[in-house]
Amino acid sequence: MAQINRDTIKLLKQLCRIDYTEEEETKLLHDLEKILAYFEQLKEINTDGVPPCNHVLEDIANVMREDEVKEVMPRDVFLSNVPSHTGGMVKVPPVIKGR
Amino acid sequence: MHQLSARELRQRFLKGETTAENIVKYFLERIDRLDKDIGAFLAVFHQSALAKARHLDEKKAQGAPLGKLAGVPVAFKDNIHVRGEISSCGSKFLTNYRAPFNSTVTDLIEAEDAIVIGKTNCDEFAMGSSTENSALQVTHNPWNLNVVPGGSSGGSAAAVAARLCPIAFGSDTGGSIRQPAALCGIVGFKPTYGRVSRYGLVAFGSSLDQIGPLTTNVEDAALVMEIIGRQCEKDSTSLSAPPESYLETFTNGIAGMRIGVPWDFLKGLRPEVLANFQASIDMLKEQGAEIVDVDLSIMKHAIPVYYIIATAEASTNLARFDGIRYGVRSARAKTLDEVYDYSKEEGYGPEVKRRILLGTYVLSAGYQDAYYKKAQKVRTLMIRRFKEIFHDCHLVATPVSPIEAFGIGAIKDPLEMYLADIFTIPVNLCGLPAVSVPSGFSPAGLPLGLQLIGPQKHDKNVLHAAYTFDQAAKFSSKMPPLAKQG
Repeated sequence: MAQINRDTIKLLKQLCRIDYTEEEETKLLHDLEKILAYFEQLKEINTDGVPPCNHVLEDIANVMREDEVKEVMPRDVFLSNVPSHTGGMVKVPPVIKGR
Repeated sequence: MHQLSARELRQRFLKGETTAENIVKYFLERIDRLDKDIGAFLAVFHQSALAKARHLDEKKAQGAPLGKLAGVPVAFKDNIHVRGEISSCGSKFLTNYRAPFNSTVTDLIEAEDAIVIGKTNCDEFAMGSSTENSALQVTHNPWNLNVVPGGSSGGSAAAVAARLCPIAFGSDTGGSIRQPAALCGIVGFKPTYGRVSRYGLVAFGSSLDQIGPLTTNVEDAALVMEIIGRQCEKDSTSLSAPPESYLETFTNGIAGMRIGVPWDFLKGLRPEVLANFQASIDMLKEQGAEIVDVDLSIMKHAIPVYYIIATAEASTNLARFDGIRYGVRSARAKTLDEVYDYSKEEGYGPEVKRRILLGTYVLSAGYQDAYYKKAQKVRTLMIRRFKEIFHDCHLVATPVSPIEAFGIGAIKDPLEMYLADIFTIPVNLCGLPAVSVPSGFSPAGLPLGLQLIGPQKHDKNVLHAAYTFDQAAKFSSKMPPLAKQG
């Protein structure tokens, strides 16, 4: 299994889109190293030919329903939790860089 | 009134010995007086609870039929939705988030005339074993205010232990109902995966999460399960099994029941915890159970398996908290990426950040096979092991926690905290039902719990055996001195 270093943290930061302070990074690096070293024990277990568990319930089946339009949540109720909105729509900073 | 079970409280109300308004006023007054020192509640619904109580009194006066929880005050962990109320999940990120709908469990218990009295503290997004990861407040154990109540449903456990309400709901992803129940000396039940709808529970580890009750006695837990244990069309992992009735077979006893004990897995247990567990096993024997030795040695690997799967699922589930559709958006953010980066940086506490990063790592290209897939394979082996055991045994017994409630701030190393979940997480990994029932006290006077685990869908047997144990042991009737104040 792999080593974890500051470059790994940098990549992970991008993947999960969380910024971390320098101090947090140092602590995280230390914690993750220790936790991942502990995880090494899984290598001891022989899992040849064992399928990964995709669901704990054996008799689970896809649940299908008619594709019907239903009133699930009024727009104003949804928008009441949105940090920034305008004209009934969610507002975000510009995504496409302007001229 | 606080010594009464939920069923007794309802009976008093039905017989006209008290009113719903009086019940609610009584418990609100207790919360106002006692919770300053405990810190179990994040929100108390004085007005809406009283309004609901008065409405219920009118309903009764009109002779309308009343529900199975009529007049019973209940509390919800703050990651379960109660419409119109804040669902903070113990996080700064969601301090402004009002649930736009009820969880299915909220709907079901309100339909039985329960009165929702407040929301309780928890580890942030249910990640933790002590409630110390709540970004909002510290919760103290009613048995000793200097120690933790356990977690992550620590607020719910402390509230019930202090008799601030007879029933509280929690969520259990790796022990988050059972461990705080044990550490606070009450009953906590984690149903079979899928037995209770997860609709309206803020997701942490979707293949592991279950909502369940924390109560002062086993019968109340069973009553709650009769109400909430049903299929739900809004949760596609919900079991198609019909609702069960639990209470009617309770008095049958456990004579002839075979209970497996994984003695090998329990090696290295602290002497005081082992002595307490041994005493519990002796008591089960006295009640007629046959005790057999079972091999659960593979479960010594449960912690890495769990912390890989749970963090992988959490890193996916928590991606939705983006500061765009809900949550607190960072004021510093100028670009879209900064909205994500800064809102999450400012909104999440250290344990949540650690777990998201860990989950992202185990799912990332190049490491997924070594960690996530490997863990899912070992999980298959664990499920098989339990299945083999349950060919021969009705139940398996273990302690709930390898340690009693510890001092607030005493465990600083995250890995050390994870290790405390060793007996509870195999249950979630395998989708099993399990109960935590009070089993006595440590030499320091802190509560300990016995865990009884059943095969999937055998929730009834688990509760049944817990009831028989508790009738003999009677530890659930013990109340922390602080709670005895009238």
